[in-house]
Amino acid sequence: MTDMAWRRGCVDNIDLSANTEANELADLASDSVIVFDLTGNIRYWNPASETLYGWPAIGAVGRSIGDMSANTAVHITQWQSLMQEGAWEGHVDRRTLWGGRITASVRQTVRCSADGRPRDVVEYGRCAGKEPPLSSALDIDVHRLATASWEFDISGVRPLIEQIADLFSRGAMAELAQQPDWTDELLEGARIVDVNERAAHLVGAHVGRAGMIGQSASAFWPRVGRDVLAELIVAVATDHSRGIPRMRKLACDGVLRDPVVTAWRSEEGGRPDIVFVAVNGATDDDRSFWYLRASEERYRKLIHHLPTALLQVDASRMAPVFEKLKNTGVSDLNAYLDQHPELVEFMKNVVRITEANQRAVALFGGTAPADFITPVAFLFEASPQTPRRIMLARFEGKRNYTEIMKVRTFDGRLLDVQLSVTFPAPPERLDVTLFSLEDITERLRTERQLRQVETDFTHAARVSMLGEFATSIAHEINQPLSAIVTNGETSLRWLSRDNPNRAKVEQLTTRIVSSARHASDIVQRIRGMAAKHEPARVSLDLNDVIEEALLFVRHDIEAKSIHLSVRLASNLPVILADRVQLQQVIVNLLVNSIQAIAQGCRPVRKIDLATRVDGEGAVVFSIHDSGPGIPDENLDNIFDSFFTTKETGMGIGLAVCQSIILAHGGSIGASNCSDGGAQFRFSLPVPPKAD
Amino acid sequence: MDLFEAPVIAIVEDDEAMREALSDLFQVLGLPCHTFERAETFLAAHESGVFDCLITDVRLPGISGLDLLQRLKTMGSTMPVIVVTSHTDPNIRSRAIAIGAHAYLTKPLASDALLQHLKSAVRYDFSPGDGYGGNADD
Repeated sequence: MTDMAWRRGCVDNIDLSANTEANELADLASDSVIVFDLTGNIRYWNPASETLYGWPAIGAVGRSIGDMSANTAVHITQWQSLMQEGAWEGHVDRRTLWGGRITASVRQTVRCSADGRPRDVVEYGRCAGKEPPLSSALDIDVHRLATASWEFDISGVRPLIEQIADLFSRGAMAELAQQPDWTDELLEGARIVDVNERAAHLVGAHVGRAGMIGQSASAFWPRVGRDVLAELIVAVATDHSRGIPRMRKLACDGVLRDPVVTAWRSEEGGRPDIVFVAVNGATDDDRSFWYLRASEERYRKLIHHLPTALLQVDASRMAPVFEKLKNTGVSDLNAYLDQHPELVEFMKNVVRITEANQRAVALFGGTAPADFITPVAFLFEASPQTPRRIMLARFEGKRNYTEIMKVRTFDGRLLDVQLSVTFPAPPERLDVTLFSLEDITERLRTERQLRQVETDFTHAARVSMLGEFATSIAHEINQPLSAIVTNGETSLRWLSRDNPNRAKVEQLTTRIVSSARHASDIVQRIRGMAAKHEPARVSLDLNDVIEEALLFVRHDIEAKSIHLSVRLASNLPVILADRVQLQQVIVNLLVNSIQAIAQGCRPVRKIDLATRVDGEGAVVFSIHDSGPGIPDENLDNIFDSFFTTKETGMGIGLAVCQSIILAHGGSIGASNCSDGGAQFRFSLPVPPKAD
Repeated sequence: MDLFEAPVIAIVEDDEAMREALSDLFQVLGLPCHTFERAETFLAAHESGVFDCLITDVRLPGISGLDLLQRLKTMGSTMPVIVVTSHTDPNIRSRAIAIGAHAYLTKPLASDALLQHLKSAVRYDFSPGDGYGGNADD
């Protein structure tokens, strides 16, 4: 569409067309439509003409139609006939952009102005002959064959051009060699007067056609082929016969097949420094090699400066190995690698890193990306099991693989990194694998610190809670100690008798041992509660934990004349939890209930404690007290840290409960019961049974 | 009370180990005793004159030791009651004495002290280390 608008612009400028609509029709015509004035100067050149003759509109408009003729004598005869009769029909031989000639069947008509005087000539044409030389070209999608057209103003570098041309003509290569930068200088000075949309699409990138006009040729002309352009400009700018095109082939590379650059000087008088350049070449898609190259360069730059360490890895040597394994019936690579660990070693040495970006260099404390251009083996020195897992993922056809591993940097540091491997998809036969490495050493350290703080905090809360139960605990231990003392004294009495009763002493001693063990158990549990330990998940029965927790508060409950009812579901599924932390939660909830009842003055003083399995298979603990309940306005923030309605205490008890239960993958909630009092309940997931 | 007949002692103690320990202690002294886990069961067995002395814990499930003492006094019982407890709380102690406890002892018990108080309570001499009690010389 934009191409069309641009061509239309040319026609408008010369003010010859009847109206815009007619131009549009001519733009869409499948036949070549050319308008030229009575001196033969081409004024309009439609897209079909571009296709037929190869010349782009930007280069054809302004030239003489006579110059297009392959046979000047025939052209002169035919022109005279046209001027005399006002119309002419027949075959003409025309020169094509690609250096050949074409026989076209044309019909030319002289248009007259309102006063009856001849104004211009309109020519309709199409390819003639049984073996149209362009048959193959015509088959090609016009768009793909489309020409990238440029118009340069070289007036600014005319002296340089003359100088270089002189050196060329004298063959003074030594002097030329003293000016190695002449091509850059020339292209810098050559200004873009106009380009078509195709050229803008190919190399204009984000600035577009408007942004290219007025800029230097060097700003947009791709690096590859700069010498070719500069030499062509020198050639046509100093050529005495204007309009004679010069052609050069460009190196065939990538998408643009057989690219040809054609340059010629404007034939219009007064524009000696205008040079037209057209680039032709079939493309396999709608991009050109240059476009790709530019995009690739941008991509490279982007990758290079990306704030993630990236390694490009060539794993192509592994593809046939995997294919062979699959063909020989190996489906379980894991088992195969158990038998053939050497394959992992093989992989570590044939898979090579081909590129590394700046961030990767910095991460490894290297000096340049070249440090990385080696087999991948060094990456895995600190994580020897990783290569195997990457191989398994690749073998199973996964698109990517991620794990946290350790790497040893060039300067000897040990880092925790998140490795992400992106495998190529089957159609991308290049087999370029990407490794991205994210340094998470700091993050892991922070997480460890956070966990430590959390553990410390939980521990502090526990120790402070134990302090509140000093009396209760003392009582619990005093009980077996009392029995021991009395039994011991009784034994002594038996022994001091005239006829010591050995059987009785044995019985008493057994009881002493039993009571001492009991006391020791209690001490053990208290020590467990007081000790600072890393949380550890073990299989346990929640009911057992409750029994242990009650040890700490039983005395308090009885001292406050509270009736405790415990209904524990039998055969509770085993949960995975930290014993001490769960005890802490249960004791905390019990203490809450005890304090609530003690604060209130209701006649009923009771705590109902129960366990059950809920509908989703989770183990549920609930505690219901006969206290005053929780004020509605506090229900939402009761688990917040430092929330408390008590005058003493930090208010961290319930917050710690919540953090412990959440860490166990469970949930905790508080509510008021319809019959009064508060109810707390928590549920813990039951791990799936191991096979 | 018959001075030549050993007194019968009742023990109310919820802790099994302690209950057995006290029972064994009185066995070596040759003193017959009956043990109860709760105050309620003791009250059911209690008839005036059956027991010569009661040794009770304070902290008990159901009726507490002090409530039991209170009830006995209310019932007009003159049976001496020795309160034995882990509580060192002076308030509990003075309350026990105020109600009329013969003695207030804290655990762990020193058996000599217990026997001392028992002796004064039942006015019966049982020399430690002797045979099956029954020393009529007091």
